[in-house]
Amino acid sequence: MLQVSHAAKSFGANRAVDDVSLTIRAGEIVGLVGENGAGKTTLMRIVAGELAADAGTIEFEGRIGFVHQHFMLVNDFTIAENLALATRTSPRNAEAIVASTGIALGNVGRRAGDLSVGEKAKLELIKAIAREPSLLILDEPTSVLTPYESEELFAVMRTLAAKGTAIVFITHKIREVTAVATRVVVMRRGSVVADSPSMSAEEIADAMVERRTGFSRSGRAEARPTSRGEILAIVGVAGNGQRELAEQFLHAYPRSRIGFIPEDRTHDGIVAEMSIAENIALTRENWRGAIRRVPALIDLYSIKAQSAKQPAGSLSGGNQQKVILARELDGEPERIVASEPTRGLDLESTRFVRDQLREAAARGAHVILITSDLDEAFELADGIQVIYRGVLSDRMTPAVASERVAKLMAGLQ
Amino acid sequence: MKRIAYGIAAAAISIALLAAIGALFGHRDLFPILIGGSVGSPFALEGTLLKSVPLLLTGLAVVIAFRAGVWNIGGEGQFIAGSLAAFLAARYGIAAALIASILAGALWASIASLLRIWRNAPEVLTTILLNFVAIHLLGYCVNGPLQEPSRMYPQTDAAAVALPLLGTSDLHAGIVLALVAAFASWWLMYRTKEGLRLRAIGYNPNAARTAGVNVNAQIARALAFSGAAAGLAGGIELLGVTHRLFERFAAGYGYSGIAVALLAQLHPLATIASAVFFGALVTGAGELQRAANISSAVATFGQAIVILVLIMFGSMRARD
Amino acid sequence: MIELALIASVPLLLAVEGELVAERAGMINLGIEGMMLFASMTAVYAAQLTGGIAGGIAGSIAGGIAGAALIALVFGAFAIHLRADQIVTGTAINLLALGITGFVYRELNETFTRAVPHIESNAIAIFAWIAVPIVLAWALWSTPFGLRLRACGENPEAVRAANFSVEGHRWAALAIEAVLVGIAGADLALALSSGFAENMTNGRGYIALSIVIFGRWKVKGVLLGTALFGAAAALQFAMQAANHGIQFHLFLAIPYVVTLVILCGIAGRVRAPEGLGK
Repeated sequence: MLQVSHAAKSFGANRAVDDVSLTIRAGEIVGLVGENGAGKTTLMRIVAGELAADAGTIEFEGRIGFVHQHFMLVNDFTIAENLALATRTSPRNAEAIVASTGIALGNVGRRAGDLSVGEKAKLELIKAIAREPSLLILDEPTSVLTPYESEELFAVMRTLAAKGTAIVFITHKIREVTAVATRVVVMRRGSVVADSPSMSAEEIADAMVERRTGFSRSGRAEARPTSRGEILAIVGVAGNGQRELAEQFLHAYPRSRIGFIPEDRTHDGIVAEMSIAENIALTRENWRGAIRRVPALIDLYSIKAQSAKQPAGSLSGGNQQKVILARELDGEPERIVASEPTRGLDLESTRFVRDQLREAAARGAHVILITSDLDEAFELADGIQVIYRGVLSDRMTPAVASERVAKLMAGLQ
Repeated sequence: MKRIAYGIAAAAISIALLAAIGALFGHRDLFPILIGGSVGSPFALEGTLLKSVPLLLTGLAVVIAFRAGVWNIGGEGQFIAGSLAAFLAARYGIAAALIASILAGALWASIASLLRIWRNAPEVLTTILLNFVAIHLLGYCVNGPLQEPSRMYPQTDAAAVALPLLGTSDLHAGIVLALVAAFASWWLMYRTKEGLRLRAIGYNPNAARTAGVNVNAQIARALAFSGAAAGLAGGIELLGVTHRLFERFAAGYGYSGIAVALLAQLHPLATIASAVFFGALVTGAGELQRAANISSAVATFGQAIVILVLIMFGSMRARD
Repeated sequence: MIELALIASVPLLLAVEGELVAERAGMINLGIEGMMLFASMTAVYAAQLTGGIAGGIAGSIAGGIAGAALIALVFGAFAIHLRADQIVTGTAINLLALGITGFVYRELNETFTRAVPHIESNAIAIFAWIAVPIVLAWALWSTPFGLRLRACGENPEAVRAANFSVEGHRWAALAIEAVLVGIAGADLALALSSGFAENMTNGRGYIALSIVIFGRWKVKGVLLGTALFGAAAALQFAMQAANHGIQFHLFLAIPYVVTLVILCGIAGRVRAPEGLGK
């Protein structure tokens, strides 16, 4: 049984975890929900001992297994060697270990770097389960799984819970919570705002955000005037060739004629050490002109910053994404490629980004939206294609796609 | 402001450590001789300034390269290449000689950028290896085709031209050139699009590439600029100070440039002050060797201490 | 000729083997040049101190290892503990070693200019060419320790997630490197030369770094690389002996040109340990 009492953790001025108390019992499947930045991962990292809390106590007996959002595999090692490292056994025991968890992974002599994303996720899960933890924490486990693989995961979770393991799975996807959780804990801005064994999807959604907005999944609210622009969404589970596809688009057109929003804004988007102004000027031929325009852009895109000379790395994720948008969309390019543009953003920034893409399409731009978030795709797209192992499906209307997308994402059909 | 404080502290600590080690070995007069030999007299000051010139330029070379994220440890070889070219072109006049030195330095550095772009060969190693090649090339020249006519010493004749002197001292016009180079580097890095992109690839080459910067071309240009500065250092040292080439001509100026650049926190204008500090250190160390038989290698030791202290400060800062 | 090549490249080979371990653990030690230089000096000093005990071998090797260990301590303090940039640290270490050895050489000049015991190189050669590769290959690829060490060089995050100390394993790798480089220094100064001379390592450290890349961070590969290099070096000596002209100076450049070619031919298609330098 896990007992968290008045845990608190701040990063500078940001109260990531604000006086949280929580009890988790054996056999429970707790869905820990909240929008990005609500404090879910931070709280669980404190529970797992990876972070030290500023205040409060954690009481727990037994072993904790933590499956992180990002893979922690040694790509050059085989599956067996990765397991050996994690479980402190010999690589020879790997097959037996895999068998004992009930998850199918195939030949353990394969190099981890060559596995598909779904297989890597399974390997991470096996690593955690093999150590027979009393508490298993899964951080956004389905972000890289097809709908089918997600179902497989839920089945494994139910089996483990039946054996007495306590499970916490962190997610921002409400549908998953209602599918498998025995208890729902909602976090918002570092606090627990709801904790109940049964909540409806609407109740959860309302608890996640501050105002009652109602959760619309049917897409655009108002009819669009006819225009030449459109949004084509390319959906798929991460790791199926989206990066390569985006690169192809990037190089297919002159850089000044395309607005490109990269998948990983810290790695490929923002130069953290340079100022906001310098980041915006980086793509422009007339860089002095660009710098003069920056204050206007900061206004236009509601970028929360003290000055244009501030290092871009000091901004929040949402504001960094706005800087990229400002840079890429300001010239009103005819083509826009946006990869996972709202990943990791809070709700307000997410809305902003989606509105910007809609407006760009309304202005006549051809927008290609590469995303693994089906809700986002259906909300924005005029047409949908599915990418699987580097191959694109036919283009479908959203209506047709809603029936076929799950199968296409899994490579069936 | 903090960074200036760190710089001064690092410089002070290295001198203090030198004095302490000297005392350990029984040389209590290390510190006074060091100071006196570097800034204690007009003659010493002159020596310091003369030594600062090549250090300023090799320091700028490192600043430009490191700012672009390129490991140019080849200042030594580029310095030699520049001096050789200057010597050969000297018959055509000062301007020709200096331009030749700039081009030769850029070319020598470009061998490394070519190998990196074409073959992924890490420039940190190729530039160092090219240093050794250049040193032996110089050895060949001064013992062979370029040796002075009497064939008694491994050195060349005096170069065909010399840099004009400033006033009655030994200070030569190269000082002005070096200062101009410092300002030009600053202007390049902070007031041009080229400099913006150069710094961008230094901080985050992936983001720069996404933004449309041709990273390989940028790296090549950065190395060329870097080599040019080091080559110019060699040309100026030849035409302004030594007037002839000999073995060990480079005398560590290339490697010292690294310490100069790091103490200046990779800022082109601060490199001026940093070069003067290390110029003083080298000049003082020379006096130490003459007056007290203490190896002038203490200057190299001092450079290392400065770098290590700066690293320490840097990681303390990162922990905040 | 072959024997000459093998024996003459022993210091280089030991440095290569040490750097292989370090890089497999994720560290690039540019300062290996300075480490070997400093070890050469301490080996000679220790040999003079211990007089002729056991032919000077024990003393010199112990001294060499002690010197290399000191340098490894400094490098580790900055690169592991302070997480400083490894290339800048390594460069500083080389300057440090140059400065210290230059200074001490002049201070204790008579220690370094009188006759030193000559140590037998054959035993060390067998050690370097046969014993070390076998032990290293076994240790790195067939033991749990080796698995963890290699994981540190590929993905330190994964190692930490499995609750092991990345720092501990990297220190261990540096210790192994120090032992090997210490012996290399002793061999260089007392088996291949007759004492310490300023700058006597002459770039061997950088050549070692290049050979590790050429050998794709594997034992067989680096052995082959060192052997090839040794052969080229032996050829160079032969050419120098046969031709006494001024081309001598150009011949001196051959090892470095050969190394450049080595870096060209292979580096493009090679995959380094993912966590190298991080």
